Amino acid sequence: MSSTENAAMEVEATAEQKQAESHLARNVKFLERGIAAAEVHYTHRALRTIFSLRKRLQSDVLAEMIATHASKSNSQSVADCLQHAAESLGQKHVVGPATKVCEPEVCLFLCLLVQLYHLDHNEHERGAKLSDVLVGAALGLQRRTLDPIVSRVIFYYSRFFEVAGRLADARPMLLKALQTATLMNMKETKAMVLTLLLRNFLNYKLYDQAERLAAKSSFPTDAPNNLLARYLYYMGRIEAVQLNYSQAQMHLLEATRKAPSTPATAGFQQTVHKIYVIVELLMGNIPERSLFRTPVLKKPLQPYFELAQAVRVGDLSQFQDVVSRYQDQFLKDQVLILIQRLRHNVIKAGIRSISVAYSRISLRDICLKLHLDSEEDAEYIVAKAIRDGVIDATIDHEKGFVKSAEVHNVYGTSDPQHAFDKRITFCLGLYNESVKSMRYPGGDHRKELAYADEAIKRERELAQEIENEEYDSDSDAMDDAMDEDL
Amino acid sequence: MAGVPSAQELSSLYDRTRAELDSPRPNHNSVKTQLSQLKVGLVKAALSNAQVELDPAFRLTKRSILEMGAEFSIKTGDIPAFERYIAQLETFYYESKHGLAESKVMYPLVGLNLLRMLSENQIADFHTTLERIDLAQLQSNPYIVHPVKLEQALMEGGYKKVWQARAEVPTPEYLFFMDILMATIRNEVASCVEKSYSSLPFADAKTVLFFTSMDELLKFAQEHQWSVSPSEKRITFPSTAENTRMFQGESIMKQTLTYARELERIV
Repeated sequence: MSSTENAAMEVEATAEQKQAESHLARNVKFLERGIAAAEVHYTHRALRTIFSLRKRLQSDVLAEMIATHASKSNSQSVADCLQHAAESLGQKHVVGPATKVCEPEVCLFLCLLVQLYHLDHNEHERGAKLSDVLVGAALGLQRRTLDPIVSRVIFYYSRFFEVAGRLADARPMLLKALQTATLMNMKETKAMVLTLLLRNFLNYKLYDQAERLAAKSSFPTDAPNNLLARYLYYMGRIEAVQLNYSQAQMHLLEATRKAPSTPATAGFQQTVHKIYVIVELLMGNIPERSLFRTPVLKKPLQPYFELAQAVRVGDLSQFQDVVSRYQDQFLKDQVLILIQRLRHNVIKAGIRSISVAYSRISLRDICLKLHLDSEEDAEYIVAKAIRDGVIDATIDHEKGFVKSAEVHNVYGTSDPQHAFDKRITFCLGLYNESVKSMRYPGGDHRKELAYADEAIKRERELAQEIENEEYDSDSDAMDDAMDEDL
Repeated sequence: MAGVPSAQELSSLYDRTRAELDSPRPNHNSVKTQLSQLKVGLVKAALSNAQVELDPAFRLTKRSILEMGAEFSIKTGDIPAFERYIAQLETFYYESKHGLAESKVMYPLVGLNLLRMLSENQIADFHTTLERIDLAQLQSNPYIVHPVKLEQALMEGGYKKVWQARAEVPTPEYLFFMDILMATIRNEVASCVEKSYSSLPFADAKTVLFFTSMDELLKFAQEHQWSVSPSEKRITFPSTAENTRMFQGESIMKQTLTYARELERIV
């Protein structure tokens, strides 16, 4: 019974196997065409199909593909990789007959699939070991066409270490990868490694090291959008901790824009928006209510919404209440320390609303309204607020009250000018960027070229014939023929 | 010291220096020379045998030597030296503690470092260091809670709280930085006071600026060029002129030229 079952299963397996094999073979062909034409988009096409392949990976199919390709390879490191990959799958590595030369790209692609297989099946140790070997070999090979594949290999390398909790051990290899990528001008790998290093540092809260890395290295500007979005998010977080709120706000906003707005990126959008809300609050601006109503963000951002409300009203007790209620959530998001800084903003908002509402108010009343400890405290706080430009008022010390200055016409100052200037520069910048990123349809272009090629060939033939005719004595017929042609 | 000192020599020298420092009236110069001997000894030991760094006993000695150096530099008021010692101690305090038990003076020293950053107005470094400290310690450890509360009070402008915090320092070493801090916030208060009051009587000015005597107040007022009138016993603050109405020709010209250039580029 069991044997027939096994046989039946084998038959089914082979049918699936065949399908998976054909997919893999097609991808391998893409890669080889890419190498031949030295164009990157074939590689990208092959890599894009990984998502659908991932669900159907089986260890024996992979081992077979590896065996067929491992026969004759260019360098020892490539052969090593394939051997490790096969061993990690638990299959025996049999070197098949010498069919064809295995390019490093194809080899790495197959090993990448093996990595994915390990990750999906939670075999982290094997995956980590394999990734180690792969990254070492990939960096040694130094071929530019490997760029997209290597960047993905490194991503999974770091992921394995992260899942195993040993992220600090990944750092030396990542730093070496950064060096090689910069020297070889492998842009995508460099972008990926920089992002991974920042993530590494932020995991261990080494903010000043991360900042130094970002300051000393230059992120390639034409990196793919998803890498750019991640990099901007990490930069925003570092700057928020270092009190550089305006830069942080810019970076975080760009990160939300660059990330694609498909449902798959919901998690990223939520995380970025959480930090963005806090940075806005720290800068003294209340984020718009519509931000909290978008369906993707509604539930996760609920604590932040209440926080924003407390800051807007300026009520310190409400603020403390919200913080204590959602403390675990804030701890998980690693923003608790940033939120402690918001106390000052709550008081600022409170003072501002009082100063706008009252033309004259005694210090005692301010003290009561803001729940401060004493009148002297209130006096100092109001004095500091005046100095910082939060409110426009004077304190009368003997009589003990604060007198607000009269509201003057905003249009009389140059504030509208500055606001307009900012918006105009933004619009002009947007226009310039879109002009730069215009693309022309490629098809017509090539057709034209082909046509031009043919025309040149015909003219050359014609010229040759004319040359040959000149040596011929009886050229009457040819003359007629020539006239016809012309 | 000729040759490479062994671990025992180092620790015995350390014990002697420690005894000297703990005695009622330590001789600062001798302690200083002994400290530099210790430091040279540490470097020589590390250079000769790279594996010695992995020895827990050696690491313990190294950490104790550095901590003693930090304490000593506070006693003598040598702030750059204190910064250097703390920087070297960072590897022992955060991340992997190198397998050593937690040091008793770790949190006092970390708290002192935080206070130093506050007094020198290095707020960004203050917050970065704060991130690396355990959250539980932030809320419970008195050495850390003190600088954190101070920073909050400074941000809000509750300078009275800062003045009162002088009485609540966990260890006497904090007082050293508190005095520097008071000088810093005195300037802060002065600039706040200039903007918010039109004039103040002497007595009130004295309390507001935390002065204890009239002469200090008068000298301070002179430095900041406030007009003092002894007859009425008042200080009058100069009102800042309203510059916002002035026509800022240059910036407007620059902006308009940029607009013109960009508009011309539009095809």
